[in-house]
Amino acid sequence: MRFEEFKEAVTAAAKQRGLTDYELYYSSSESTEVEAFMHEINSFSSSVEGGACFRCIVDGKMGYASTEDLSAEEAEGIVLRAAENAAVLETAEQEFLSEGGKTYQKVNTEPCPLPETEELVSRALKGQDLLYAADELVTDGSATSTVTMKENLAICNSRGLDLSHSVTGAGYIAVAVVKKGEEMNDSFELKVGPFDKLDQEALVNKAVHDAISKLGAEVAPTGNYPVIFEGKTMASLLMTFSGSFSAENARKGLSRLQGKEGEKIASENVTILDDPFYPDNLLQMPFDAEGTPTYTKAVVDKGELKTLLYNLKTAAALGKESTGNASKRSYDAPVEIRPFTLAIQAGDLTEEELLAKAGNGVYIDSLQGMHAGANPISGDFSLQSAGYLIEDGKKTRAVKAFTVAGNFFDVLKNITALSDEVKLGGFGASITSFASPAVLVEGLSIAGK
Amino acid sequence: MLSRSLCERVLGVAASTGADYAELFAEKTFDRSVNMIDSKVHAVNDAVIAGVGIRVFKGLRSVAASTVDTSEEGLLSCAKRAADALGEGKAEIEIVLRERRFGDIHPIKIVPGSAPVGEKIALLKAGYFAARDYDPCIRQVTGTLLDIDHNILVANSEGVFAEDRQIRTRLNITAVAEKDGETQSGGCRPGARKGLELFTEEIDPADVGREAARQAVVMAGAGYCPAGVMPVVIDNGFGGVIFHEACGHSLEASSVAYGTSQFCGKLGQQIANEKVTAIDDGTIPNAWGSINIDDEGTPSHRNVLIEKGILKSYMVDKFGGRRMGMAPTGNARRQSYSYVTTSRMTNTFIDAGEDENEDIIASVEYGLYAKEMGGGSVNPATGGFNFAVNEGYIIRNGKICEPVRGASLVGTGSEILMKIDMVGKKLECGQGMCGSSSGSIPTNVGQPMIRVSSITVGGR
Repeated sequence: MRFEEFKEAVTAAAKQRGLTDYELYYSSSESTEVEAFMHEINSFSSSVEGGACFRCIVDGKMGYASTEDLSAEEAEGIVLRAAENAAVLETAEQEFLSEGGKTYQKVNTEPCPLPETEELVSRALKGQDLLYAADELVTDGSATSTVTMKENLAICNSRGLDLSHSVTGAGYIAVAVVKKGEEMNDSFELKVGPFDKLDQEALVNKAVHDAISKLGAEVAPTGNYPVIFEGKTMASLLMTFSGSFSAENARKGLSRLQGKEGEKIASENVTILDDPFYPDNLLQMPFDAEGTPTYTKAVVDKGELKTLLYNLKTAAALGKESTGNASKRSYDAPVEIRPFTLAIQAGDLTEEELLAKAGNGVYIDSLQGMHAGANPISGDFSLQSAGYLIEDGKKTRAVKAFTVAGNFFDVLKNITALSDEVKLGGFGASITSFASPAVLVEGLSIAGK
Repeated sequence: MLSRSLCERVLGVAASTGADYAELFAEKTFDRSVNMIDSKVHAVNDAVIAGVGIRVFKGLRSVAASTVDTSEEGLLSCAKRAADALGEGKAEIEIVLRERRFGDIHPIKIVPGSAPVGEKIALLKAGYFAARDYDPCIRQVTGTLLDIDHNILVANSEGVFAEDRQIRTRLNITAVAEKDGETQSGGCRPGARKGLELFTEEIDPADVGREAARQAVVMAGAGYCPAGVMPVVIDNGFGGVIFHEACGHSLEASSVAYGTSQFCGKLGQQIANEKVTAIDDGTIPNAWGSINIDDEGTPSHRNVLIEKGILKSYMVDKFGGRRMGMAPTGNARRQSYSYVTTSRMTNTFIDAGEDENEDIIASVEYGLYAKEMGGGSVNPATGGFNFAVNEGYIIRNGKICEPVRGASLVGTGSEILMKIDMVGKKLECGQGMCGSSSGSIPTNVGQPMIRVSSITVGGR
């Protein structure tokens, strides 16, 4: 059955069981991806997904159950299972559902037009021509993909909340593989947004240029150096440790920022906003996963931790208001806390000036293995890196196969300058995104040769 | 799950525009977990995942379509989407399905879905409180007992019509310890293609909790690992992640077929030290990464990948095999119906060798002993890999000395394989979830203790 019918069946089942506090959360998505290799369409995939999560408060405890099977049988099934699951919980915290009737800020992006299949195919193939034309070192394995997606989200509950929101997106991906002798390298570029604003050639050329520039890279020398993290790279580092800004993690002793609200946690020149309406992000959200209105807030202002991020339950337990940061990893996941677009604000140096300020050090534009080489609780990291040496204030030789090690909370304190160009980089769970300018950090440990 | 005649009709529509291969993958999965934090059961999750993925090939083109709508109309419309995307043409193959029974070599004693949730909570608590009570410096413990009942049906134009029921159970305890303001975590997460008997008969959940807490306590008291190039001894079990990252992914058709692996065209050549024999074996009874059939309906195999240093085989799925001119090896896997199947690992390990563990440690004048490894990642094109050392110790004059934290290992697969110059006798496997283009799937990694003669150790 369709969602509207399923919703009615679930509501009827909930009422029949005598439930008074419940919520139904539904998300569905349609996506299409076309991938080209060696001047031919290699694969085409199209998926239609969707699922519903029912949660209810029974004797003060919140039980969850989810399903992708929108049948009459499952409408009763999830209600029954959620109520049973609530019964075995031991947490004594108060649970909340949002009240209906609130006002919500409007998103400031136009819906992204969804290209037809023919355009997806022709642009993927054109990317192949551009890739092979860009340089003679480009080799087979170089891929171009086009993607479209449409996501729908709905939340309704027994308190009169009835919200829905849709986002559409289109994306273009170029993977350049280059080979010189026996040595291979690759580089990946992704651009999300309407295709009429896409400069396909520039994107492909950037991927090819980046792949070639690391050929013949040396292993960096071991030592302690000033490090510049390029914007997207710093954004992915911020993503890795973003769980520390969750008030729930802090409360559970899983964040070093516990009890630090109002204290200085970063250098004076660091300001970090969480912006659900970030202009460059197509995925803007007027409400969070609990239906609370979202808004833009400073998390760190000139180095001071202004607020952690809260959902309804954590806020109530700590005597605060929700910051509208409830988030679900997927429709069937529990409500957690995440930022929307967490963005380190721009500084005032051009990249050249930033390099000049660094003097001699290492410029890092690739970090790998975040899920392994970083401890999201302690902030310690030791990560596989690639980039360039900085010699006399200029990017010089390419370097790879080294690690950069340090502690994220020390990095925040030791940022001495930031560039004036913010880049949207890490894309995390749910619709979370991260952005940062390039940052100069004093003294990090590099392990290479 | 679906009738044979319905599958025939759906595949008939999928192949109606000239496909030379058509496949249907149907799934119904019951995914459950019980979670604890702050010494309390705080969440019970329970999800039903159900849908169908359809694929058609024509030469070197593939089309995949998936749907959550498993009604007859939904399936036929999904098949038509796939057929339309393949292009215009007329049917060239006939679909006749024959039911196949592959037998189940992974017997389950206690189906977790049928056990009362109270029994699962009791097992979880046994593990949880063993960690909590291990040492006064344990600050927090999180625990999850999860069970997955993954039912699949594969039907394809080669006539396969087969089902498999994959039941897996896993306990995951993570402990956080604090000493002098420094917090460190430790974890232990055993799992198998078994039911609850894994924790009622074979593994004591309390041992799992104590192991997680032990690691956290040791590491909270450790100093930082020094950086540099040095010999590294990697212990057995999850240490096998080094082979998984440094080599395994680069032997998957998903990179070999497109020329983006450093091991392309190297069959029959020496790519590893002669001490190294490596195997991918999806047929180990009840192992975490085992399958009866893969997600294209090919029976699981034991594939020797590297024998005494010589590259013997890749891991191949049907579509990758077309580009490579090779038969599938029973390695086609996907997380669920909505992912597009590709070649993946099952249980992958370096086989037992002939060195004694004592000799391996004694051979190192100054280096790192990696007792417990964390996860890692690799770029198959460059072979560049990294992984984390969760529990490490300095080796000095052939003896294991003080613990060190924050170490990671980086290198290139082709180099590291040649430098594995000692291999111990006691093979063990550890469980992981491997992420790649076809989603997150359960895989075992494994090895005996090995020595890598030199590798870059990241630390500070």
